[in-house]
Amino acid sequence: MKNEIGKLYIELGEEFNFYAPIKEKGNLIFKRVLNPDDIVLDYLNSKVPPKEILFPKMEVLFEYKTDGKDVTEIIERTDLDEKNIIFGIRPCDAHSFVLLENFFAFGDYQDEIFLKKRANTIVIGIGCNTPKSTCFCTSVEGHPFMKDDMDIFLVDLSEKYLVEGVSEKGKELMKRLKWLTDAKKQDIQKAEELSKQAEESFETKLDLKDIDKKLDPNFEHPIWAEISDICIGCGTCSFLCPTCTCFDVIDENDQYNNKGRRIRIWDTCQFCLYTLHTSGHNPRDSCIERCRNRILHKFCYYPENYNTLGCVGCGRCIQLCPVNNDLRAIIEKFNNIKKEKEEKISA
Amino acid sequence: MPNPYIPMLTTVKSIVSENKVNDIKTLELEFKKEEEYKNFNYIPGQFAEISLIGKGECPIGIASSPTEEGSIKFTIKKMGTVTTRFHNCEVGDAVGIRGPCGNGWPIEYMKGKNIVVIGGGFAFSTLRSLVVYLLNDKYRKDYKEITVIYGNRDSGEVLYQDVLEEWKKRDDINVILTIDREEEGWTERVGFVAPVVKEVAPSPNNAVAVVCGPPIMIKTTIAVLEELKFKDEQILNSLEMRMKCGIGKCGRCNIGNKYVCIDGQFFLWQNLKNCQVNIKFNYKYNNRGKKNG
Repeated sequence: MKNEIGKLYIELGEEFNFYAPIKEKGNLIFKRVLNPDDIVLDYLNSKVPPKEILFPKMEVLFEYKTDGKDVTEIIERTDLDEKNIIFGIRPCDAHSFVLLENFFAFGDYQDEIFLKKRANTIVIGIGCNTPKSTCFCTSVEGHPFMKDDMDIFLVDLSEKYLVEGVSEKGKELMKRLKWLTDAKKQDIQKAEELSKQAEESFETKLDLKDIDKKLDPNFEHPIWAEISDICIGCGTCSFLCPTCTCFDVIDENDQYNNKGRRIRIWDTCQFCLYTLHTSGHNPRDSCIERCRNRILHKFCYYPENYNTLGCVGCGRCIQLCPVNNDLRAIIEKFNNIKKEKEEKISA
Repeated sequence: MPNPYIPMLTTVKSIVSENKVNDIKTLELEFKKEEEYKNFNYIPGQFAEISLIGKGECPIGIASSPTEEGSIKFTIKKMGTVTTRFHNCEVGDAVGIRGPCGNGWPIEYMKGKNIVVIGGGFAFSTLRSLVVYLLNDKYRKDYKEITVIYGNRDSGEVLYQDVLEEWKKRDDINVILTIDREEEGWTERVGFVAPVVKEVAPSPNNAVAVVCGPPIMIKTTIAVLEELKFKDEQILNSLEMRMKCGIGKCGRCNIGNKYVCIDGQFFLWQNLKNCQVNIKFNYKYNNRGKKNG
């Protein structure tokens, strides 16, 4: 069905907002498709994670009208019921949607804006035949061919796709695509081979068992200072992380037209203003504490709250860090502390 | 499932300047819709996200008690952009409000006990809410002796003077005021809060101490309370953090895996002391102002 992606778009593009990987200014991003010829199919992964579709960089919380001074009316969003299809997502990013959903649905207050969009989204993902050198999803309970978090799962067999409906939603949609043909035995076999090859091609396999027990007691270990020494606090790692959720809330006024909107925009724990109190006190005022917070959040705090790691192993923070601060090396450092200790005891 | 970011609308009913310097004001807000006020069920110690729509939003502790019906009060110090805007408010202005947020003081846990309320500076607003609630005829019988120790920099900074006068007239509450340095005309105690607590020496028997104030006051006061043999589960403490959403989503108020806005903002000292959270908490204070690494 490879050259039928256009067909898929034509059939579903009217009913759904159809998102797919598109090249824009040299970067690959997930964007709403307007012309099926733009869809890129040979790519490793997007620079900005597709979480952007459900949790955009800038998002309206509500709009308001004023009488010039006071607010007169609050207008809720009405576009949340639109249906979306995200095509071509990678297994790690699909898994990130599950982690995001955990977070936004947690507690007494649920984030309706995210959850509604998530419920109205069908995820069509493709397995990774050639993982990047920075990928480490197999270390964080993932797999380059993990289909659990998708609605429809595709395997790229170079000249065609092997299509599998995973969720009820996905199976339902597949019934509508009449041009799909039954899979042949050798295709399924080939897909299994590809899956194995991909798994074997991973360069790193981290030992993340009990990682929280290794990180937490070492809260004040000098390794944190070592890591933060080279960090320039640019926030790339968290802005481009598919599981990061922090945001800032701002009011935008259009005072000439007596209206405005309250928006949320991505924020990052890597900035010192993020936690600065009005009083001037800052609980995380140095780079050490901010670096530590990011890593502990992924590997200690998130697992404590949701019983699963807060990292999907996409490797964006490693690939795009301007000073090459490698998450894998950081984890290794903490793994080695324990080993050193054990060696000392046994010696 | 309503959108949790949408505020309810209120109007400013009255504005009271609370101190001589005029940088602390109490705003009384009245809900525009009666049913929204009826659904706004709070207990002392909770906070709300209040906003001047178009200017910004900030979390402020509720200073009124649920027993004071009809309106809610917020005591706001002029500090940043939004609070300055609040100070420029006039009666009749529209104010957005979301909440109540946080957990409030554990009033059930405190039942049948002697209550020692220790406050410093303008952190007294949620303590005012608590004491007004405790003194209400309906609830007073549930609690035993009530002692209030309230410290300030100088006499001009003492908040809620009218309420304090009322309390002093009552015989079922012991109000102790203190200021840092001697001043002409000041007849109450002089000294920091911690030494005054030591002087007053409240008995730890069947008592709960509620401590709220600036970090240094909390630190010294808890040391004194421990000296007086207060156990860790008898000390209540409040934490504050920068917040945006107030509902555990914007991320910045975390201490470990807890969010101050939904898991706090009031913690038993026992919980703070024994868990890792506290180590992190203290760690930050120890390194305050010192460049690490």
